[in-house]
Amino acid sequence: MAKMNEIRDDEFRVIGQGHSPQPKQPQEQTRRGKQVALVSFAIVLLLGLAIWYFWPKEKTPPDNDGIFDPVPTKLVIKPAPKPLGKTVDSLQTAFVEKLDTTINDVVLSIYIPHNTQAPVLTVGAPDKETRKAIMAFQAADIRADNREILGSFILKGRILAQGKSKDGFCAIINGKVTVGVEENSSMFEEAAERNGYFFRQYSLVKNGVLEESEIKNKTMRKALCDRGGQIFVAVSETDESMHDFAQALVDLGVDNAIYLVGSHSAFGWYRDEIGEQTYFCVDVHRKSYRNENYIVWF
Amino acid sequence: MEQNPLNKKIIISKGTELLRIPADRLVYISADGNYSDVVTQDNRKTMASLQLGQIEDLIGDQLGESDNNFVRLGRGLIVNTDFVFSVDVAQQTVVLSDCKGCYHRLSASREVLVKLKAYLEAIQ
Repeated sequence: MAKMNEIRDDEFRVIGQGHSPQPKQPQEQTRRGKQVALVSFAIVLLLGLAIWYFWPKEKTPPDNDGIFDPVPTKLVIKPAPKPLGKTVDSLQTAFVEKLDTTINDVVLSIYIPHNTQAPVLTVGAPDKETRKAIMAFQAADIRADNREILGSFILKGRILAQGKSKDGFCAIINGKVTVGVEENSSMFEEAAERNGYFFRQYSLVKNGVLEESEIKNKTMRKALCDRGGQIFVAVSETDESMHDFAQALVDLGVDNAIYLVGSHSAFGWYRDEIGEQTYFCVDVHRKSYRNENYIVWF
Repeated sequence: MEQNPLNKKIIISKGTELLRIPADRLVYISADGNYSDVVTQDNRKTMASLQLGQIEDLIGDQLGESDNNFVRLGRGLIVNTDFVFSVDVAQQTVVLSDCKGCYHRLSASREVLVKLKAYLEAIQ
């Protein structure tokens, strides 16, 4: 049941009052409403007259009754793609499987976490606890002007930033990861209410279709992908444009994908099956920011 | 003894914390995740461990229908209309001021500001 105090961002409410003067509709809006109502009424009237005029007065039965049986509509269900990577024993220790492939001349490494819990987000330079994770990638961008997180960001139910400059999002709620593309996602509110996680990034693929980007330069690209429910990270081993990278993901069969902080300076790591940890961007002079944030798998 | 409406206080109490805020000195309350920032006429900002919706309920319960000048603007704000100095729909700002030392410029959505403007015109 909805709570009494639930409210949308575009709503206005007088607190504790049932009898206060209700806001008058702005004159312009009222006038426009009247015009729309009048035009709608006229259209309905004309349509009614036209239907009455052209309606056959006496229906003649078709000569070939029974010849054309109705064709049942076929419900086409797209089979889920076979998950990438190998099948592993569920009792095995968590690890990351790295697959290398080339699609349209784009060299991709695919990092598939096995036997892990759902990822979580962390903020700040990785501490001792975070470094126990088997895989970590930088998630949301940081603004260059004030070093705040760019786009909406929720850390375990706590809203740290709000903004819709990017329409891709990742929500992690009750152990379920959703990668999607939507300007106004209800998952933001849900993540806030249910102690979840949420961040925004550029969209790359939406429902299997490439999302065009205005960013034209080439660099190492990273993406958080959902392919038939399997969540993994894809990284280009060569410098690629957003378009070519996204097209490679589409051709890989990815349903939805959003960008992750890319370039050669984005920090992160993964641990393979034999426990060997490999870092991205091992730069001792790497700057760390208080708001740098990671999506990590334990 | 019945409280003088001018001296009505809003009591925000949770766990070990208690806030007593004179209703006519409360300028606005903004949401900060699961917490709320209460801003008073002396320009002090105090954090309350309640969500904005819970504070809205408290204000509704404690002030009732009369003497209640508070409105909810979207998900992020509760504003005392007595302090509304200007509403600029185009700039998406509302300025709260007592024309002395208290001055706050806040942002809200265009739709909400249209409704606030219409409401303030209606209660004149």
